[in-house]
Amino acid sequence: MKTNNKKFLLSMVLSLSMIASCTKLEPNEQDSIVIKESGSGTTSGDAVALLESSYKDLDAFCDQANLYAMYEHTSDELIPPTRGTDWGDNGVWRTLYSHTWDATHQQVRDNWNNLNSRSYKTNQVLAAGNVKPEQAAEAKFLRAFYMFYVMDLYGQVPFRAITDGVDVNPKVFSRSEAFDFIVKDLTEALPKLTSIGPKATNTTASKAAAYALLARLYLNKAVYTAASAEGPFTFAPADMTKVVEYCDLVTAEGFSLEGKDNYFNNFTLNAKNEIILTVRHDSGTPQNRIYMVLHYDQKPSGWNGFATLADFYNKFEDSDDRKHGKSPAAKGEDYYGIQRGFLEGQQYNDKGDPIINSRNNKPLAFTKDVTLSGASTEKGIRVMKYHPKDYDAGAQYVLLRYADVYLMKAEAIMRGGTGTPPALKMVNDLRDSRKASALTKLDEAAMLDERGRELYWEGLRRMDLIRFGKFNTTWSEKTNTEAFRNLFPIPQIAIDSNPNLKQNPGY
Amino acid sequence: MQKFTRIYLMMLALLVSQAVWAQHAVSGKVIGADDKQPIPGVNIVEKGTTSGTVTDLNGDFTISVPDDAVLVISSVGYVSQEISVGGRTTINISFVPDVKILEDVVVVGYGSQEKKDITGATVALKSEDFNQGIIASPEQLIQGRAAGVQITSSSGEPGAASNIRIRGTSSVNTGNGPLYVVDGVPLSNDDISPASNGQPIGDSPAKNPLNFLNPNDIASIDVLKDASATAIYGSRGANGVVMITTKSGRGNAKLDYSYNLGVSTITKKYDLLGKQEYLDTYGKFNPPDPKKPNDVPPAIKQDKGSNTDWQSQVLRTAITQGHNLSYGSGDKAGGDYRFSFGTLSQQGIIKKSDLVRYTARFNGTKKFIKDKLKVSTQLTVASTKDGNVPISSNSGYEGDLFSSAFKFNPSAPVRNPDGTYFQPGTDQPNPVAMLNLTKGYTNTLRSLGNFSAEYEFFKGFSFKTVLGFDRSTSSRKAAFSKDLVYNGIGGIGRLYINDVQTDNRLWENYFVYDTKIGERGTLKALLGYSYQSFGYSSQGFAFSNFRTNDLNIMINNYASAEKAVGTNSSDVKDELQSFYGRVNYSYHDRYIVTATLRADGSTKFGKNNRYGYFPSAAFKWRISEEEFMPKAFDEFSLRLGIGTTGNQNIPHNLFETRQRYSDNSINTDGNYQTGGLSNVAFANPNLKWESTTQTNIGIDYGFLDNRIRGSIDLYNKKTNNLLIQVTSAQPAVNAFVWKNLNADVINQGVEFTLEADAVANNNFKWTIAGNVAYNKNLVKNYNGIVDTGAINGQGLSGAFAERIANNQPLFAFYLRDFAGYDANGNSLYTGGDFQKFTGKSPLPKTTLGLTNNLKYKNFDLNIFFSGQFGQYIYNNTQNGYFTLGSIATGKNVTKDVVSGKEGILNAPDVSTRFLQNGSFLRLQNVTLGYNINFNSKYLSNIRLTLTGQSLFVITKYNGQDPEVSTNKQINGVPSAGIDYNAYPRARTITFGVSASF
Repeated sequence: MKTNNKKFLLSMVLSLSMIASCTKLEPNEQDSIVIKESGSGTTSGDAVALLESSYKDLDAFCDQANLYAMYEHTSDELIPPTRGTDWGDNGVWRTLYSHTWDATHQQVRDNWNNLNSRSYKTNQVLAAGNVKPEQAAEAKFLRAFYMFYVMDLYGQVPFRAITDGVDVNPKVFSRSEAFDFIVKDLTEALPKLTSIGPKATNTTASKAAAYALLARLYLNKAVYTAASAEGPFTFAPADMTKVVEYCDLVTAEGFSLEGKDNYFNNFTLNAKNEIILTVRHDSGTPQNRIYMVLHYDQKPSGWNGFATLADFYNKFEDSDDRKHGKSPAAKGEDYYGIQRGFLEGQQYNDKGDPIINSRNNKPLAFTKDVTLSGASTEKGIRVMKYHPKDYDAGAQYVLLRYADVYLMKAEAIMRGGTGTPPALKMVNDLRDSRKASALTKLDEAAMLDERGRELYWEGLRRMDLIRFGKFNTTWSEKTNTEAFRNLFPIPQIAIDSNPNLKQNPGY
Repeated sequence: MQKFTRIYLMMLALLVSQAVWAQHAVSGKVIGADDKQPIPGVNIVEKGTTSGTVTDLNGDFTISVPDDAVLVISSVGYVSQEISVGGRTTINISFVPDVKILEDVVVVGYGSQEKKDITGATVALKSEDFNQGIIASPEQLIQGRAAGVQITSSSGEPGAASNIRIRGTSSVNTGNGPLYVVDGVPLSNDDISPASNGQPIGDSPAKNPLNFLNPNDIASIDVLKDASATAIYGSRGANGVVMITTKSGRGNAKLDYSYNLGVSTITKKYDLLGKQEYLDTYGKFNPPDPKKPNDVPPAIKQDKGSNTDWQSQVLRTAITQGHNLSYGSGDKAGGDYRFSFGTLSQQGIIKKSDLVRYTARFNGTKKFIKDKLKVSTQLTVASTKDGNVPISSNSGYEGDLFSSAFKFNPSAPVRNPDGTYFQPGTDQPNPVAMLNLTKGYTNTLRSLGNFSAEYEFFKGFSFKTVLGFDRSTSSRKAAFSKDLVYNGIGGIGRLYINDVQTDNRLWENYFVYDTKIGERGTLKALLGYSYQSFGYSSQGFAFSNFRTNDLNIMINNYASAEKAVGTNSSDVKDELQSFYGRVNYSYHDRYIVTATLRADGSTKFGKNNRYGYFPSAAFKWRISEEEFMPKAFDEFSLRLGIGTTGNQNIPHNLFETRQRYSDNSINTDGNYQTGGLSNVAFANPNLKWESTTQTNIGIDYGFLDNRIRGSIDLYNKKTNNLLIQVTSAQPAVNAFVWKNLNADVINQGVEFTLEADAVANNNFKWTIAGNVAYNKNLVKNYNGIVDTGAINGQGLSGAFAERIANNQPLFAFYLRDFAGYDANGNSLYTGGDFQKFTGKSPLPKTTLGLTNNLKYKNFDLNIFFSGQFGQYIYNNTQNGYFTLGSIATGKNVTKDVVSGKEGILNAPDVSTRFLQNGSFLRLQNVTLGYNINFNSKYLSNIRLTLTGQSLFVITKYNGQDPEVSTNKQINGVPSAGIDYNAYPRARTITFGVSASF
């Protein structure tokens, strides 16, 4: 028995030593930075790195999918045909064009995530321990910029404070609450933003950018504060006057229109007068705009995707600078065969010889007619605003430019705002610098058309169509007239994860 | 043992008492027939009486019996003998080990139990139950042999990973594979070799981490299926546990050598159009322009003058060779040892793909200090080299190696007259060029070992400590020459290096107490502590703009690249600390109760839920032991078990907000792109285990002297707190966060196992063994939606085929309902141009295995069928490549495409048009063997075998092979049952010879 006692003792000692060797199981991160959330709202993130990352996030506008598609593919100026086995993509493009999307649409969801996560990152900049006032001002502008598009597309804007943990459901701004919040952000940011004049590469938020965005906000205020997103929209003259004021402030920063023959300079490094905000070249570039339209047999070999509608193309006079522009390359140089503006008819290669479409062995000529499905590869007129030669040289993607501001002022005056010169003169001055003939009168339809001619394919068309009440009319193969589609649905997974969000009417 | 004793007792009751003869003392020694060592503790009983004795430590005994008495010699593990005294005074007995008895032992967690005492649902497989032939990794040995264990290799590539599901699929985002325990050391479930991601041709997965184990070294595999058996492994037992035991030395010193030679060819090639048909069909859709009669017609232009069967150009007849040499011996008393060495050189049926492996093993056990201290060690070292070919799971419209082989123009030559490869463009890669202008391989070195010491304090009470380690280092290189015309490669050349190292350590300590309670009760108790750490580190590099096109210079002379970037590196460590206990009480050998409890603490979970508790309880009633049971039942037991197990197979630290710099890369224009600082995880301190509660009712039966035996099990598994990446309520910096969902995945099913010795003569034996399992899978209480199953192909960006949602099985197919073509040849869809649930899923409802084992004198024949039924397969290869639009643009297609009503401008959207019934019955394994016995001192026997693997398969599926699952994950959610460019399956004939010296 005694030996057994001794052995029991020995085993107890062994077990005690086992328990004493227990570890605490705390992870010790060697390859990642742990962010400890403290209650005070400041995080250990670095303001400089986060702000730079927020600027880089503007590349969301350069993709041909998501944001761009929601503004352009739903409009009357762009059609995304399914060409045999190309561009079917599970119907994502066709449903945008036909206005038959639902709450599980992939791009509606991805865009929601993209914009909201970017605006949250700007919150992190504002909460960072080492943030300076100038950096805070730029972060506020960026927050306003991202939240603007959420408000415009979805009509509800979720907002998460830095201190909210995983289990907190973000509060949701209604459309008009979001409007006020965005205006407040811009107004607070303005004093500390820098004053920059026009350059081809304006990648930093400036006073001009804030004024331009404020002008856009007030021009569309009727839409954002209307009782129903379906309309009707009544434009208060006081708001229109504010638009004029902001536009004049932009002009005062040194911006003006490019002169005759120089329309396409806006999309090159030779832009002199109009560029207010561009995307940093090391994050997003205009590359997609080139590849998404060019045919496989052109150079550079493109993805042969989107085209414009014949009805839209017919709105241009032949003399209009904006319709066609010469290739910047010389004969024999790379990309000589690619024109600027609308690419219609026979296409040529670098040497100036006609290109043969390898898919059907006929000469490659872009046709005016195009169908939404079952289209062959040469159907549809293409659009080339950023030329491959300029892209190679480093041309940056334009987010805000003066022509938009100019036309906003004209429209505001047309709608009853106080300002000079009169709207018709402003539009005709613009048309003059674009070598188009003068208009005799200016009504809403003409204003909408002029904005289309000036700003086609720049990601704004849906906004204009809604404001003018034309988003729900019909055009080639788009027959759906449901007015609730002025707002996109909140993505189903966002509704599932945040009970504060309620689905938009009609979905 | 029980049976023998009872039979003798019965005979005792019927016996007429014998006349009493004169008694005298008989003495002798009992010696083992295999090792010639004395055996203590052997029962010597005078037959017909209860008088007897037991041999002492030297094997000696003395018994007083009449002259004509018969002595019964018996002991556990040996064949009992009856010996007539016949007047002798000294009798020496040679005792033969009863191998059959040893087989009735099942390895469970932390020990082993006799099969009759097992209360859980387990399957014990010994080497004669294993599949034969060319087997690269252990799970292939038991494919189809265990009810409810579904093993599917993801493709036919040598070294490819296997998907193993025990009783259905329970998890959505985490690993679904079982826990592997090799000689008591639980392995981590991580891949130990690098995957290749983000490369121009697409992603291909890591290799099977179990490849390091030479199947020839495995003595037995025990599969633990239900919670009462797996709960002892707590947080890792939810998907079942596979216990692998390696061979130890036994018996006299023996040298074994075996050699295998296998020949493999492809089971089925795609039925593509021949050159003339191709040109005719192409010409039909590309007619000459009537306005330009002098132009060369397109069909003539497309004819490049040659006639090439591209599938044959990339396939070959593969030769595989393997050698195995082992030397060892062992006895129960002193110890045992075994050395083994093995090589395997397995070629794949696609040229340049192969697996070459060298393994060395040592197993040893020795007893010290009066046999109270038992020291043992098992050590494995394996070096593997995988030759990789450019096959990927998500290549774009250009295609990878195998898909280029279908698409390429059959009239095109392999090379131009000047000797360079014929490469018309980046969208039509030449398969032979792809094969020869790329080089990829993975080198892996892994060592797994443990050292343990077990000390017996006093009879029945012992303590064991185990130190285990598992270290590996692996490097994957993929070089693409700039001569290959392919997007992102042509003109610049690329090289990718990915390295992975793992470092896992184990320290385990446990007490075992084994005692009798009262007359009929036995109690076994276990109490222990375990600590395990898992370290994983990786590094990656990318090079481009090479000044050379020589693949070897590219790999071994990095400076030939003009651009080089470190893509990323990582280093993580996870720990698991556990306390566990088990109590096993058995009364009268007929009422058996088991209870286990394990507490696991893991660094993978948040502070609030770091520890999880996993209990189980089971009861077994051996009804056949009861007096009221008819003797016809040799075995009839009822088992009831219930328990909770867990699953923690998620990546490292997902409960704190963490940021990392994302990967750098060199883009297609040759420009550097630096990754930004971004979040890799968002804080969730409540993150905890996925838990599975399982109930099991089982019946084990045996009739006719156990000639018919088997079991029936019913089970219900409910998995809750599913670990899943969910979309964070936006705005949040990270689009996803890891959470425990309050949803349930329910697997319910029934398993039947039956073994019958149909004929058992001296010369001829015929055994039939079969297992059938039925499983139903359903997701319940889930309000969300998760899409998975990415579909690739021309015009299919963003397409997906599967959706996880409430009241559907996991990975249910979500497709447009195809209803033929309209007048223009465009697809029509019932209900509209959108996707919906089809009621079909890729998970099989029934799995079955059927073996026929025949022995005639020295010949034996084993025929094994395996099948899976009720699953559907989405043929992404057909969706991406075999539609009419493809042939119109010059890509070759299969013959059935041309005869349909499709129009050439039809968009092949994701629909039921490409969904097919994937049920199959396969003749998996046929082995014919012949034993030649020698009685010489040097050679004891030679065995010759001829094995056929995958000889034929009966299925309706029109793809290459129905056993396929390409990884088409979306955002980390895995997919199932999608076939895309899978490496084809081979039919293998193997000749083997093994000799024992």
